Amino acid sequence: MPYVIGVDTGGTFTDGFVADHLGRIASAKSPSTPPEFAVGALNVIDELAKSLGVTTRNFLHDTSYIVHGTTSTLNALVTGDVCKVGFLTTKGHADSISIMNAEGRYAGLDPDQIQNMSRTNKPPPLVPRALVAEINERIDYKGAEIVRLDENEVRAATRHLMSQGVEAIAVSFLWSFRNPTHELRAREIIAEESPSIYIALSSEISPRIREFARSATTIVNTQIAPRLRGYLIPLENELRNRGFEGALLVMQGSGGCVKAREAPRHAVSTLGSVLTGGIVGCTNLGVALGHKNIISTDMGGTTFLVGLVVDGKPVSSTSTVINQYTISTSMVDVHTIGAGGGAIAWIDQGGNLRVGPKSAGARPGPACYGAGGGQPTVTDADLALGIINPDNFLGGRMKLSVELARDALERHVARPLGMKVDDAAAAVYAIQNAQTADLVRKVVVNSGRDPRDFVVFSFGGAGPVHCANYAADLGASGVVVPLGATAAVFSAYGLASSDIVLTVERSQPDNFPPEPARVKQAFAKLDEELKAQLQEQALPFASVAFEREVDMRFTMQLAEVTTPVAPGPIDKDAVANVGKTFEAAYASLYGKDAGFRDAGMQIITYRMRARARLPIHPELPHFEHGDRRVKPKNMRRAFLDVRRGWQDTAVYDYRDLGRDDRLVGPAVVETPTTTVALPEGCTATLDQLGNMVIRYADAI
Amino acid sequence: MPLIHVAGSEKFVFEERASDELCAIASKFVPLHTVDAAAELAIDPLTYEVIRHRLSAITDDMGDALKRMSGSVVVTDCNDFNAAIADEAGDLILVGQYNMQLAASLDMAIKWTLEHRSENPGLRPGDMFFCNDPWIGGGLHQNDASVFAPLFYDGELFAWSGAVCHQVDLGGVSPGSWSVAGTDVFWESTPVPPVKIVENGTLRPDIEDMYLRRSRVPKLIALDLRAKLGANNVAQQRLTQLIDKYGPRVVKAVMKKMMHDAEHRLRSKLRSLPDGTWGAVAHQDGARAGDSNIYKIVLQMTKHGDKLTFDFTGTDAQVEGFVNCTFAGVRGGIMPIILTMLCNDIPWAPGGIYRCVEIISERGTINNCTFPAGIGKASVASAWATQNAVSECVAQMVGTHPQHRKAAMSCCQGTWDLALLAGVDQRGAPFVTMLCDPMAGGLGARVDQDGVDTGGQMPIPMGRIADVEINEFSFPMLYLWRREEMDSGGPGRYRGGLGGSSCFVPHDSPLHGVHLVVSAPGKALPLAPGLAGGYPSATSYDVLMRGTNVQQMLAQGFIPGDLDEIDGRHEVLPSHVETNMAANDVYFTHWQGGGGYGDPLRRDPHEVALDVASFRVSPRAASDVYGVMLKTDGTPDAGATEARRRDLRRDRIGAGAA
Repeated sequence: MPYVIGVDTGGTFTDGFVADHLGRIASAKSPSTPPEFAVGALNVIDELAKSLGVTTRNFLHDTSYIVHGTTSTLNALVTGDVCKVGFLTTKGHADSISIMNAEGRYAGLDPDQIQNMSRTNKPPPLVPRALVAEINERIDYKGAEIVRLDENEVRAATRHLMSQGVEAIAVSFLWSFRNPTHELRAREIIAEESPSIYIALSSEISPRIREFARSATTIVNTQIAPRLRGYLIPLENELRNRGFEGALLVMQGSGGCVKAREAPRHAVSTLGSVLTGGIVGCTNLGVALGHKNIISTDMGGTTFLVGLVVDGKPVSSTSTVINQYTISTSMVDVHTIGAGGGAIAWIDQGGNLRVGPKSAGARPGPACYGAGGGQPTVTDADLALGIINPDNFLGGRMKLSVELARDALERHVARPLGMKVDDAAAAVYAIQNAQTADLVRKVVVNSGRDPRDFVVFSFGGAGPVHCANYAADLGASGVVVPLGATAAVFSAYGLASSDIVLTVERSQPDNFPPEPARVKQAFAKLDEELKAQLQEQALPFASVAFEREVDMRFTMQLAEVTTPVAPGPIDKDAVANVGKTFEAAYASLYGKDAGFRDAGMQIITYRMRARARLPIHPELPHFEHGDRRVKPKNMRRAFLDVRRGWQDTAVYDYRDLGRDDRLVGPAVVETPTTTVALPEGCTATLDQLGNMVIRYADAI
Repeated sequence: MPLIHVAGSEKFVFEERASDELCAIASKFVPLHTVDAAAELAIDPLTYEVIRHRLSAITDDMGDALKRMSGSVVVTDCNDFNAAIADEAGDLILVGQYNMQLAASLDMAIKWTLEHRSENPGLRPGDMFFCNDPWIGGGLHQNDASVFAPLFYDGELFAWSGAVCHQVDLGGVSPGSWSVAGTDVFWESTPVPPVKIVENGTLRPDIEDMYLRRSRVPKLIALDLRAKLGANNVAQQRLTQLIDKYGPRVVKAVMKKMMHDAEHRLRSKLRSLPDGTWGAVAHQDGARAGDSNIYKIVLQMTKHGDKLTFDFTGTDAQVEGFVNCTFAGVRGGIMPIILTMLCNDIPWAPGGIYRCVEIISERGTINNCTFPAGIGKASVASAWATQNAVSECVAQMVGTHPQHRKAAMSCCQGTWDLALLAGVDQRGAPFVTMLCDPMAGGLGARVDQDGVDTGGQMPIPMGRIADVEINEFSFPMLYLWRREEMDSGGPGRYRGGLGGSSCFVPHDSPLHGVHLVVSAPGKALPLAPGLAGGYPSATSYDVLMRGTNVQQMLAQGFIPGDLDEIDGRHEVLPSHVETNMAANDVYFTHWQGGGGYGDPLRRDPHEVALDVASFRVSPRAASDVYGVMLKTDGTPDAGATEARRRDLRRDRIGAGAA
């Protein structure tokens, strides 16, 4: 069984990528089929089989694993197609999920929205008050039982909720992550009352301090889990019908995958499923190219996504905000930082030119699509500036109208500001580049790092038009535009090349240094849980690596710093070393002498991770272009850099490039999937995998 | 002892001066970087937008650094801090979206420093100044400790950065520096006028020690001091990079233009509103422990053309107590409202916005007090009350405009319900903390919808409260409940947002109890008035139950859900009190919601029915205040409602009119 397949279901397209143990690869693209996304996934597998020249049955029969990036859980939340959930919580704290720590009024909003305070609102309640039941029970901060669990109340509440037609029940008691006995007993009672109902416990879904996020996470998990099950089980059955005998794996937001049958248990971990493929792709391509620190930028038509790879690993965060609710789940940090090529240019009341965050989306899209979108967008500016060839958009599959683009810019930007259309387009282009640099810098700096230590990877249809500008502004050391075998299906490649990653953690706030025995015990318990979970995957792994870490802070800080715990026995010295590692990490994040040991330190969370490698790992083929010296296919006037203005610009066809070619800006490279802009001062070469590597002589 | 003028204190007062005049004074000793009007005209829209965006990103980075590095729940979990950038003259170009009161006074401290510190000890590269003297600025009471730094470029003073946050204890008679029994400032933390705490890039240990020595929790204060230095470092580095790239003339021109942009847009909005005068009177009950007098702040706000005048003539004289505020408090009461209700779609550049505003206020009054009046609670006492009056006037004014009215809110949470805990924590360490649960106050109703329940408070657009588990982990307490309180939102056609309550017992302290300081006016009268016929929100209500049976109840498997279920001595607390809580004592604190908008008798009966079903309004209030009668299934009874509303209207005009 030599194949491994990656299937990435996006909003518009479903992408497929396949590799075998001999290093052969193929890719395919097929329209997504909402709301029945499984159809699109099956279609793309047909396409892959076709491109390999085999039948789907034989193809699937010979496939070991399918790694799937699914939008089903995120989509369920966004469209509100979630289960009716009942919620049990500690008496006196039912309102926690409506008080939302007061932050629910503005969490996840952009500064302009927050400033307009009288227009801000909390989102609708996760669970209507009538479906929330308060239970007499109480555990304190040490895990000691203060009030015993009232079992009759749990039973009565379950019956009442069932009579209200709930499809699943979430349980979140105060301090349950310190002592889960009340939640565990509650589950037994609920199961006695209703044996088949889906039940989630906060002590299992999100065993961390801070009850609001833990409860919200558990509830969201409970709302989407039955939907995920309802998507994956029929998909897996259909694959089996078509001859598949291998394992169906689902990508999680954390950047590792799990077996489809296990996924619904922690459904919340698949919320970032579809965002993650790209960054895993960057990580793995980075390994092939020798880049360890990568800023991943994915600029599509409607979104601009940013993620980070540091030291060869995706940077992840432990929470995210969805519908203004803070959800605790390990997720690769993928930030949506505003609009992509569809970002609309507009004039604010003060007569200043602004770009985004509103987007024209995929429909009607930029004015130049001619689909009725009259607003000028970044893509319209790119076209008006001669960067994009109207006949080569999406490899020529879509004709663009320069006239409509210029007309929209004229009406909405140039005329109100008294500028020429060319100048208006140039301003839109430059503002987009500069604010992209600002927003990307914020992501990098907020993670405590310096953009100058990174290489930018730029993919997505609109990214390479802008990447040389914003990367230079960031001070990044260079840009890689993936153009080789993975070009059009970069995220699906990421999926096919991913590992199984399982994470277990427990919040156990301890003042530092804790007794070594306490640390040892915490990790022993996590180790046991993790090994049991690995067993349940029932997969033949090539190798398994374990990592331990703790989240630490100076006493009373809010922000914790994730600190690795070195392998080896836990003794007094090992514990002391953890403290030293934390202090060193803190100093590197916030500056020398920023730390303040006298305040005391604390460990908040203990965490363990298993990274299990699958036997097949896709090898990317080497670039096979010739060694001839390329000539431009033509010249045109284009505006690539605000400091240089309009210039005669060489236009190259990517397919004509040879491995020794060295392109010098100003130049434009047209590829079947995108357009790469090379402003003056930039040089571009191809690497051994066919990716374009851009360097610049001077920062913009 | 009565308040007697302290000779020699005149120096420590912020004098409003034109920026040119101030620069002329300072430039005798320090070269200032300035640009002419031509530089501003030469800025193209593109450069303006790029640099504006970056300055805003730098302010954000300062806030993030503060939050990440601070050690105080008040800052890290409750966002009681802010950061700002000012030009060479100290005019604020940008403030963060955290506590606007704090940022509204930073320019005062910078301007005072320019005037009084330029010659000696002088302003040089690598210097940072510390200040917590509210007569000078940089904060509204002594707990607002600010650090601000001149930025030099090519040997010229180019701009200023500043960071300020609430410190949990800086000394004074009572823990937390809220000296409820105090009669003047000498009961409180000693104000520190601007001192050079960082010299040539190095923190001065002698100055730091002088600062920390006064606190009950010096380590925590030291950690927060480093957070503020870190925030300024971030600003200085990033601003220098920005000037390196674009040149000082361009960056400065953008800074000036940002203020002009805000000014022009606010002026044009003011012109679109009708001229007129609006009035409001805000109250406070009790100036110190044992005092039950009521004090008023009187405001006449006049809009003429593109100018707004706030005239506080008629306001009560300063009092013996700790509720007075300095001129910083008047500004701190005005600026947050102007920003959220008038500048909701205008950049927050206070330096430009202040040019549209005139303040008339007599020195020696409760919201413009002189030394040595007590100001320990200024920020959430007279400054807050000032804000209530400003909120009422500005909301009425914008309420006249078909579009701008949407930015209006009725008064939000009329008062800060302070509960301060101190003692020894469950790990045996001394602690002091301000319980920030009231940060989830009810917001005022809007012209087209209800106020947000437990949504925050007016001066802090991004206010936040800590999780129950964070408080229980950090401090020796066990919550019986934290919830939204029925009927706490001001009734109206659109209802004010609900306030909430917390109820807790001391837990696991080695001292078997905690020290408690309570300060919450709004008990004798509601302080968040409604608008356009809307009713005020409920009053504050704090109860200490002594010698209760709560521990037995818990041991028997029952968590009380209401004070009525607990046996014990019921002490309804006055506005200000300091006391001890024993292990069997229960503390209940119920903070205020927001005012209503419009006549409650015009509220859609179905909305009232929904509020009753979701425990936001009691059936009694539905009947007596909203005039809505519900059927047994909870839906409105149309006939009975109509009759009830007719009766209520008749009651309003008196029996004679029947």
